[in-house]
Amino acid sequence: MIEVKNLVKRYGDHIAVDHLSFTVEQGQILGFLGPNGAGKSTTMNIITGYMSATDGTVTVNGLDVYEEPEEVKKMIGYLPEIPPLYPDMTVLEYLNFVAEIKKVKKSERKEMISDIMEATKITDMSNRLIKHLSKGYKQRVGLAQAIMGYPEVIILDEPTVGLDPKQIIEIRELIKELSKNHTIILSSHIMQEVSAVCDQVLIIDKGRLILQDKPENLSNHLGSTGGLKISVKGETEPVLEALKKIDRINDIRENHSYEEGVVNLTLHCNANEDIREEVFYSMVEAKTPILEMQSIRMSLEDIFLKVTNEEILEEDSIDEEEIPETIASEEEVDEDVRDL
Amino acid sequence: MLGIYKKELRNYFTSMIGYVFIAFFLVIIGIYFMIYNLFFGLANFEYSLGAVTFIFVLLIPLLTMRLMSEEKKQKTDQLLLTSPLSASSIVLGKFFAVLTIFLIVMAIVCTYPLIMSLYGSIPYGSSYGSILGFALLGGAYLAMGLFISSLTESQVVAAVISFIVFLFTVLMKGIASIFPTDNKTALIVFSVMVIIICLLLYKMMHNLTVSIVTAVIGIGGLLGVYLVKPTLFDGSLIKAFEWISVISRFDTFSVGILDISGIIYYLSIIFIFNFLSIQAIKKRRWS
Repeated sequence: MIEVKNLVKRYGDHIAVDHLSFTVEQGQILGFLGPNGAGKSTTMNIITGYMSATDGTVTVNGLDVYEEPEEVKKMIGYLPEIPPLYPDMTVLEYLNFVAEIKKVKKSERKEMISDIMEATKITDMSNRLIKHLSKGYKQRVGLAQAIMGYPEVIILDEPTVGLDPKQIIEIRELIKELSKNHTIILSSHIMQEVSAVCDQVLIIDKGRLILQDKPENLSNHLGSTGGLKISVKGETEPVLEALKKIDRINDIRENHSYEEGVVNLTLHCNANEDIREEVFYSMVEAKTPILEMQSIRMSLEDIFLKVTNEEILEEDSIDEEEIPETIASEEEVDEDVRDL
Repeated sequence: MLGIYKKELRNYFTSMIGYVFIAFFLVIIGIYFMIYNLFFGLANFEYSLGAVTFIFVLLIPLLTMRLMSEEKKQKTDQLLLTSPLSASSIVLGKFFAVLTIFLIVMAIVCTYPLIMSLYGSIPYGSSYGSILGFALLGGAYLAMGLFISSLTESQVVAAVISFIVFLFTVLMKGIASIFPTDNKTALIVFSVMVIIICLLLYKMMHNLTVSIVTAVIGIGGLLGVYLVKPTLFDGSLIKAFEWISVISRFDTFSVGILDISGIIYYLSIIFIFNFLSIQAIKKRRWS
């Protein structure tokens, strides 16, 4: 359906997209994952024909974006990072205008607009000026604009930014609903979103493709980081003493504890090793009862951070001493997510 | 194109600029009409129009400044450029919308000679001929303003640059008459112009060979002509500046002559600047 080959975009000396290639099949939802400035928006802008690439080709349904721009643009609906809205128009006027420039037939226009307003839940706002809408509603009007004309491909650049949790769920439902008849590409830096919605995940960093797979396969790809989180009743010193005797533990980190007399620790061991029993017996020996124990599963966040960090490590060829630090940073993010 | 046209036209009337422009334009023309035609009793409406050409400098930037720049600033150009519209239909839709506002003024002005006809016999031909010329002159300024607006993201910058350029076209005639007429100065000035154009080319395309080749061909051609037939340059500087001076072409209309070459001149200016605006939009993809 969509085929991107060797895409390169240069801004002077800076390379925003670096030989990116991927394909999207009909009816798929492709998630574009990457840190800020990874080249997500640039890639989307190129696919939609807003920008040109320095090199490489993009074809949609076998049609090249540069050779037949008007045909390709007919097949694509696009919600850019900032929804392209005219503040002085009402929602209805705006959607009418969009339907007109997207060449929706006059006879179908009225019905299509009311259907789309229903789907994006903006019917109540139809006579309000866009400048008076909240960010969440503006985002929905932007989404309505992208769906207008029911194009085969819908490209959404961070569609849930600025929405409240309830709206995020609604928009995700809507995207899933749309994927029945449309091919969708969406970008995000929120991992749960991608794992909740997408069939395929594409991780890019610094314009390069790092990984492409199904979200559920991603962790297999990398192997899990073996590890445990435990809460132990007792003093820090004896607990650490006892744990240090276990050879298979590579690294121990102490986390903040909210309870008096309870130590929270994160233990790291090699991937695919099970140290749960050993930890249990050593704690029994030290007479410090375990209150909680939890295996660390690699979430998409971890995978994402790991992959992007590995890139950095490879690139700068930093010696091995630095690696624990990267693990530490994963840890912090993990904590942050947990706190949320 | 029709969608863009309707949107722009609606925008002029929801944002008041349309009303302000029409009202202000009519007030100024009305004042001159009163003084020349009603108080002094001149039957020639073209004299009044000849005297009010300066208001283009003040009013056209007001109308054109936001046409393209605002789209870029609000990022709505992403909607337009990713929709199945061609760059030319975007530009032409906008141009015809802004032209419509101006033609509303012209339509009202068309009734003035009829008002005068109540008091005596009126030379309709020269009156309406000059209104036609005036409308074309306005169209040329609108196309220029549209092009300038497509170069920047800021309405203010667009307005200021348009104002300066328009002012220059008005003052050009006066400036041109003080230039020396000898052919050496003409050669130097033209060469400097070629160099400036090449620098602009380099800035836009970042291609050194193209700019240098253009410069060499341009200056070489000028030198060649100078060596072979230097008399060609006699007084050419003044002619060139008068040619750029959009407003001086209206002089023939304002003395009651229907100047076909003037009509063609204005139509070409309109065509060239619309073409340049389309190119400016297309080029944006590549930057």
